[in-house]
Amino acid sequence: MAERTLSGIGVTPLSGVGTVIWYRPDADLPEPPEPEDIDAEAELARFEDAREAAEDELETERARTADRVGKEEAAVFDAHIQFLNDPQITDGVADAIEGGLPAEHAVQETFSSFVEQFENMGGRMGERADDLRDIRDRLVRVLSDAERTDLSSLPTGSVVVAERLTPSDTAQLDPERVAGFVTVTGGRTSHAAIFARSLALPAIVGVGEELNAVEDDTEVVVDGETGDLVVQPDDEQKEAAAADTDVEIRHDPVETADGVDIEVAANIGTRADLGPAVDRGADGVGLFRTEFLFLDRESPPDEDEQFDAYVEAAESFDAGRVVVRTLDIGGDKPVPYLDLPDEENPFLGERGIRRSLGPDADLFETQIRALLRAAGSADGARLSVMLPLVSTVEELRRAREQFESVADDLTEEGIVHEMPEFGIMVETPATAFMADQFAPHVDFFSIGTNDLAQYVMAAERGNERVSDLGDYRQPAVLRAIDATVSAADDTDCWVGMCGEMAGDPDLTELLVGLGLDELSMSAVTVPQVKAAVTETDTEDAEALAARVLRAETKAEVIETLTENQ
Amino acid sequence: MERIVTVVPEDGLHARPASKFVETANEFDADVQLGRADSDGLAPAASMLAVTGLGVAAGEDVRLVAEGDDAEATLDALEAILSTPEAKQ
Repeated sequence: MAERTLSGIGVTPLSGVGTVIWYRPDADLPEPPEPEDIDAEAELARFEDAREAAEDELETERARTADRVGKEEAAVFDAHIQFLNDPQITDGVADAIEGGLPAEHAVQETFSSFVEQFENMGGRMGERADDLRDIRDRLVRVLSDAERTDLSSLPTGSVVVAERLTPSDTAQLDPERVAGFVTVTGGRTSHAAIFARSLALPAIVGVGEELNAVEDDTEVVVDGETGDLVVQPDDEQKEAAAADTDVEIRHDPVETADGVDIEVAANIGTRADLGPAVDRGADGVGLFRTEFLFLDRESPPDEDEQFDAYVEAAESFDAGRVVVRTLDIGGDKPVPYLDLPDEENPFLGERGIRRSLGPDADLFETQIRALLRAAGSADGARLSVMLPLVSTVEELRRAREQFESVADDLTEEGIVHEMPEFGIMVETPATAFMADQFAPHVDFFSIGTNDLAQYVMAAERGNERVSDLGDYRQPAVLRAIDATVSAADDTDCWVGMCGEMAGDPDLTELLVGLGLDELSMSAVTVPQVKAAVTETDTEDAEALAARVLRAETKAEVIETLTENQ
Repeated sequence: MERIVTVVPEDGLHARPASKFVETANEFDADVQLGRADSDGLAPAASMLAVTGLGVAAGEDVRLVAEGDDAEATLDALEAILSTPEAKQ
């Protein structure tokens, strides 16, 4: 086969070069023996053993996924365990065995009828059909003692190609060995795509049937950014991809080509995110989402538990800063021990600082104590605190008074503490408009582009129907960013950005041109953004920003950025 | 004992919410069934296949029917799951 390119959906801004290994987990079963040769009792016992073994495997994979990817993604294994133990399935298999089938064929038959049923229902049910296939294949494999293709020990440089990858498959992939993966099916928000981003793997999903023509051992380039799969690439294409993959990981802070320091940090949610942040060369943490300490539990974390988490984060970095965002919880996040109100529009309701200054005042005080103590005790990076969803200067003043009053208490109690650097998220249009009034009261702003775009454009995040509006490349969003940075210009207040926009290396020059001092993103794109910073000249960047700010439409913004590349 | 509840999680009774719902239904002794509020059909709440198979979307009303000693507590727990929005990243 000569060089050609297939296209799918790129799901990570990374490229890889490697050799195709087809992963075909479906086991073909031999013809079953005659029904009279089946010992139903023995087959039932085999099924019961296999069911238990499969449940053990799922428990292990859940723990591994929770650790490597996140609790939320690991929850998919809970669903699998429940399907596995569903009485309709266990009864169905038992009936099929009684009817004269060996256990593995009984499993095939029972699951296949449910798979078909879900597929015929269309829509979201396709995902449930995938779940059931995954469980069926697992049971059949256990029952037939089949060798499991061990995705965690593939040869270095493998590109895994499959019809689809289940969450359990993806969680096994070792980013140290695998150069990427490509699937026939799947979309940007599929489990496989989310895992790819967490594991920093080049990946393309949804290539379609054409992918079946690519054979084992073929050399390919996986461009996870454009979604292009180059089959039998020439040397030039391989080198370009390798150069992209080998983006140098810079553990030191970077500056622009003309010597302006730009801090490049990582966003973290859980303790598991710290390792990748350090490994990918982040200067520190630009956004530590503390709500993950509070979610999925029966009671709030106490002061010491929080203290430990903040100290651990600061001590993971030798220098730089770790910006801890105080609890940002509201009507859209369930917390069993908080009495969260039912709200028509949780995004416009009592969330973030509004709760911390209101119903969650006690939680807020505990969090402040833990933060002040951690700021005074941690070695390594400096701790900073940041308030979410501020929309008035009064809120900022009241929060600041609380910090000061808690600091006084700690002094009286003789407990070591320190007042950390103090900042706010800029994510409401109110704060962007009033940035000049906020700036003298804070050490820094961090622009949260996901929420800012949502509130500026009145377009809900995550609502596909309005995703074109809720885009941070809309001129109105760019103007809100520009207004914020300009308001801080002649003050000591530095301005950072956390959110997806900061992690897009194609926008680094624009962001430098707009005057951002710090960019914080998911760890995976830190090396690309650091590289982009070093290639940027601030004068050119400012000229680009001025051109982009004159755009009338998002299309014009994109056109101006593309012409510049 | 029965109750009508509006389903709040964005994904309806799928994936995580369904999994939590079934897990909780299995924690209680009461025998629970659920169905759409506007239909007579009921399915066992302890079965993941049955629960996801209903394909209930956000905003739909479902009917929960429980029988047993802890029926009320069961309904309270299940209602809490159905009326709590999912966490967002």
